[in-house]
Amino acid sequence: MAQAPTDVQAQAAIRPVEVAREIRPERHFSWWHMVVYVFLAIFTITSVGPLIFTLISSFKTMRDVLAFPPSLIPNPAVVTNYATIISNPFFLRWILNAFIYAVVATILNVVFSSMAGYALSRMNFPGKELIFLATLSVMMIPLAVTLIPKFLVVNGLGVINTYWALILPAMAQPFSVFIMVQFMKGLPKELEESAKIDGASTWRTFFQIILPQVKPALTAVAILTFQGAWNDFQWPLVALGTQDMYTLPLGLFFFKSAHYTEYNLLLAGSMFNTIPILLLFFIFQRYFIEGAVSSGVKG
Amino acid sequence: MATESVGPSVASSPPLTAEGRRNLMRGTGAPRGRRGDTLTAYLFLAPYLFVLIVFFLVVSVYGIGLSLFKVDIGFTTPVFVGLRNYQVLFQQLANPGLSDFWVSMTNIIKFVVAVVIGQTILALLLALLLQNVLVGRGAFRTIFYIPAVTSSVATALIFLWLYNPDGVINYLLSLVHLSGPDWLNDPLFALPALMLLNIWTTAASFMIYFMAALQDVPRELIEASEVDGANRLQTFWYITVPLLRPTIFLVVALGTIGAFQMFDQAKFMTNGGPDNATLTPMLEIYNEAFQNSNFGRAAAMSVILFCVILVVTLIQRRLIDPSSSSNR
Repeated sequence: MAQAPTDVQAQAAIRPVEVAREIRPERHFSWWHMVVYVFLAIFTITSVGPLIFTLISSFKTMRDVLAFPPSLIPNPAVVTNYATIISNPFFLRWILNAFIYAVVATILNVVFSSMAGYALSRMNFPGKELIFLATLSVMMIPLAVTLIPKFLVVNGLGVINTYWALILPAMAQPFSVFIMVQFMKGLPKELEESAKIDGASTWRTFFQIILPQVKPALTAVAILTFQGAWNDFQWPLVALGTQDMYTLPLGLFFFKSAHYTEYNLLLAGSMFNTIPILLLFFIFQRYFIEGAVSSGVKG
Repeated sequence: MATESVGPSVASSPPLTAEGRRNLMRGTGAPRGRRGDTLTAYLFLAPYLFVLIVFFLVVSVYGIGLSLFKVDIGFTTPVFVGLRNYQVLFQQLANPGLSDFWVSMTNIIKFVVAVVIGQTILALLLALLLQNVLVGRGAFRTIFYIPAVTSSVATALIFLWLYNPDGVINYLLSLVHLSGPDWLNDPLFALPALMLLNIWTTAASFMIYFMAALQDVPRELIEASEVDGANRLQTFWYITVPLLRPTIFLVVALGTIGAFQMFDQAKFMTNGGPDNATLTPMLEIYNEAFQNSNFGRAAAMSVILFCVILVVTLIQRRLIDPSSSSNR
């Protein structure tokens, strides 16, 4: 009896999964859903609990933040932690550096990887298969194991401790090229043909015809790149040498060494790193999640 | 005239500009030929090829070459030492407890086993839970995904505080009359503390893969097995899990590759301590290069780590997803 409506609606070309969801509750609303919701509640607390509690605690005094048992509400609630951090002459610089790294790497990677994706997906030329194969292969290399030679290459280029050291390796990433190829492959051939009849150059076809068609892919690549650069710790640690060049995560590392008992300051500091990326996440969450999936599908 | 029939985005541009006419004359058909197209393609590819060649291909070959040298930048000229770096490392295997590198390898293997099992099970559990949510699935998905977006440095700072001997985690344990250890300063508990943190931050990203895969499990199969009298557990084990095999392999492989390279938390929270209990290969490679200025040895360690990761993922492929490895 439960099967009949499923069949009918599946024939109506609705996704069967969606249909089943409609039917299920009536059959089974029971202890099972109690269990589900209890687990959901538990994982909700473990997922956001630490962050919310950190946000709250960043308004505590040093004594309060280390109180045992921990207090839920800051008493007194102070903003001195944030004021102290902002008054650190380097802190704003670190935020700026992280922002420059993330924004420039994102813009360049979106432009360059979509250009490469366009060539690899919609043009024919000798060497194409080889380049695509190389792209797939390097996606398999665990990035960290090339850390040392990468440092020496960047050192050899003479750009250690500059923005270039951060941006050059990130400005056209194989993962992003792969995503762009996957998206552009599916576009109809007529798009370019009609543009060509119109007399549009290849560049204009690319920027005005192709790019608008793959906006979701561009957004996903942009977000993944921004997130990667904004959160990056290992490469800046290796590639940067002086405090004025540090990005925020690296700055927080040294800030931590200097204030290792002052958790009130550390928690407030961590919020500078967390809040921008969470805001982006709430605005663009669909792209965060789709991008994360598509970048790993072939990995 | 012909422009009228073209899609709206094209039609909105002027029909035939002077520039367009010029392009038409020299740009189309045979005269321009394949060489022009190839040149255009490579112009589009140029920035990417620079990065691909310099920062991926050259760097990989360079890393292998580097491992055959004794290199300390700025002090002496590099000396070719053949396989000496590897020889030294493998000789240390005679007494692995005294070798930082092999201690780090032992640590990371424990770490990988625990984290991969933990994150895969948790990710699958979260995905299954979400599939059974009737109201607000999107909201819960967003909530669960939050740890995956937060930076490793921010979570490291937060968990430094939570793992404090008088911190929140030990307070929660004290509620059930357990006295928690000094997590990050106790050689027995430091590595497990990092494992837990890592599972917490990574599970959600893998949850997404399972959610996508569960969407593709044919509903009819589940219904049919339920009609046949299978309970939820049996259906899950005999129908869903076999269909999820490729995804399980993907998640396990990606998780393994990621976990083997663990660095951020080990550097940030414990710097490998206490007593090398949280020393990971990447941290040891970093130390060997930037503290001991022994870049050749560090490169040799990287090559060994790479081979270990490769072999482990190949074995996993055999075990979890035999069909895919025998077909190709």
